[in-house]
Amino acid sequence: MKDTRNSPEIEIAGLSKVFGAGASAFTALSDIDLTIAQGEFFTLLGPSGCGKTTLLRVIAGFEQPSDGSLRINAQEVAGKGPNARPVNTVFQNYALFPHMSVAQNIGFGLKMLGRARSEIDATVDEMLALVQMAHLADRKPAEISGGQQQRVALARALAPRPRVLLLDEPLSALDLKLRKGMQSELKRLQGETGITFVFVTHDQEEALTMSDRIAVMSEGRILQTGTPHEIYHRPRERFVADFIGDTNFLEVEVAEADGAAAQVKLPGGALHSARLPGGLRPGAGARVTVVIRPEQAQLVAPGQGVLAATVEKSVFFGTDTHVHLHLEGGAPFILRRQNTGAMPEPDPGSAVGLALAEGALQVVGD
Amino acid sequence: MAEPRESHRWKWLLCAPALTILVLAASGPLLIVLVYSFLTPGNMGGVIWEFSTEGWFRVFFRRDIFDPADVSLNTAHLTILWRSVWLSLQTTVICAVLGFPTAWFIATRPANTRTVWLFLITIPFWTNLLIRTFAIQELIRNSGTINTLLIWAGVIDAPIQMLFSEFAILLGMAYVFLPLMVLPLYAAMDKLDFRLVEAGYDLYASRLQVLRHVILPLVKPGFIAGSILVFIPSIGAYVTPRVLGGGRTLMLGNLIDLQFGQGRNWPLGAALAITLLVIVVAALLFYLRTLNREEGPRHG
Repeated sequence: MKDTRNSPEIEIAGLSKVFGAGASAFTALSDIDLTIAQGEFFTLLGPSGCGKTTLLRVIAGFEQPSDGSLRINAQEVAGKGPNARPVNTVFQNYALFPHMSVAQNIGFGLKMLGRARSEIDATVDEMLALVQMAHLADRKPAEISGGQQQRVALARALAPRPRVLLLDEPLSALDLKLRKGMQSELKRLQGETGITFVFVTHDQEEALTMSDRIAVMSEGRILQTGTPHEIYHRPRERFVADFIGDTNFLEVEVAEADGAAAQVKLPGGALHSARLPGGLRPGAGARVTVVIRPEQAQLVAPGQGVLAATVEKSVFFGTDTHVHLHLEGGAPFILRRQNTGAMPEPDPGSAVGLALAEGALQVVGD
Repeated sequence: MAEPRESHRWKWLLCAPALTILVLAASGPLLIVLVYSFLTPGNMGGVIWEFSTEGWFRVFFRRDIFDPADVSLNTAHLTILWRSVWLSLQTTVICAVLGFPTAWFIATRPANTRTVWLFLITIPFWTNLLIRTFAIQELIRNSGTINTLLIWAGVIDAPIQMLFSEFAILLGMAYVFLPLMVLPLYAAMDKLDFRLVEAGYDLYASRLQVLRHVILPLVKPGFIAGSILVFIPSIGAYVTPRVLGGGRTLMLGNLIDLQFGQGRNWPLGAALAITLLVIVVAALLFYLRTLNREEGPRHG
């Protein structure tokens, strides 16, 4: 398992997709380069209309790329139909065949592949057990709940043992509690089957908790690819930082830059180190934007720390509290602290100081 | 509380005019036909009020003119009966085969052009059936458009006899009833979720397998409605076999007409009409029963 894990499953190079022609042409994907490793849980994340679903449909074969190459397991598949690719899809609305029973739905792929009846029956039973639906095998899709339909759609797509499973926002129609359950269910299934998962979502929390790696997309481009940790702590662009989690942006001046690190001058004049993303090398005196995550700042006594601020209000969230502040100079700032019960909530209007964790500042491109 | 319930109780009265018309217009004439089939024919047409089963007897049997006790099967009637059923079944199949791609074509057009295509489908209804049927006669008669063109082009030497044949009737009926198949099929396809077609392809089905396992089962209600709408008027068709069959190739409708006209045997005509009704109902029940039985077992 371990040795195959890093060999590429999907290799996309210079891929673009243009719908329509002439004046009404719409570029849905432009110049996508992406490599997904075998057995990876890979997430395409972005707002609606960013092209993530189009990219998934191109991988599935429902759309053909306008340009570029797409290889699955080292085989070029651009130009091939969906029935000629070792890839199965879990559709957003499940797209279960309404005239077939749960068992018939799950067995459909194997039946179309011309497998023997005994093999189909055995695999269907195995899949029913895998998604805990054995007791509902003879029901029609209309006779089971949304969460159960979701499981059947998963089992149907897994039954032919594809190399890659594509999931198009499969959890978006479920309520919060079911969604949490299905998230761990999906991780379990992926672990048990070892199949490469490509997961499309607009929910950043879902992406962070489930993925091995994430590609953040916007306007038909991939802005950044990386582990959830990298995407969250080392965003390269303002859009990525803004889309993932709560973020504070500060306009600062570079005091000195050296390789991947820089000293920046914060509002109020204090100097602090900041990381630079690869490819961005601002000179001394340049104005740049830095990102500070709300949990990486701490309230300290007025006059201490590196920033001065005034408390506007506190919002209680149970496990933690969000403190809304105004920095010296007027910029808004949100700080998050865990409710351990040790500290009293600051009064609105009171002056405070802010201390920043080492490595809290990340410079982003615009 | 009592007041709304009171008004509820008398609501059905609002339906009374419609119900009256339905009962009088549908079951009234049918009842008269049923009663007439058990009466004695009058000499100049009409009926004499005297009970007789002779009308029903003559649907299936005939008596020798000189020896009424000599009874044999009425093969002429049975031939016409069989021909009516057979031609109607063929018409239904032809309409289904032609109607499916037509309806599919319309259903897969962009939404704004679909209405135009549907509109085009209904255009033949604007012209009287008789005139359209005579137009077909003009096309296929021996000195008609098709034969003239073929002779002129040198494909054939002598005209092909197409008019006054079962082929002519079939052509006419398929032409007339095709829209009745296309419209319900289109309605079924319009409701079809095309993502299911994608799901079929995704699960390794070929185009033909998607058609057979996904599309056809899902548009089945359209086929059922279309088949019923085509088969029922086909089996009772009167104008088309009269004009294109030329009196030589009779169908049930023409036979019934004959009994009320030249034949002057109203009870036989009435009995034949009821026979037609029974055939239609029996065919419908059989059709729906077989369709329901097709719902397959577990992995079917």
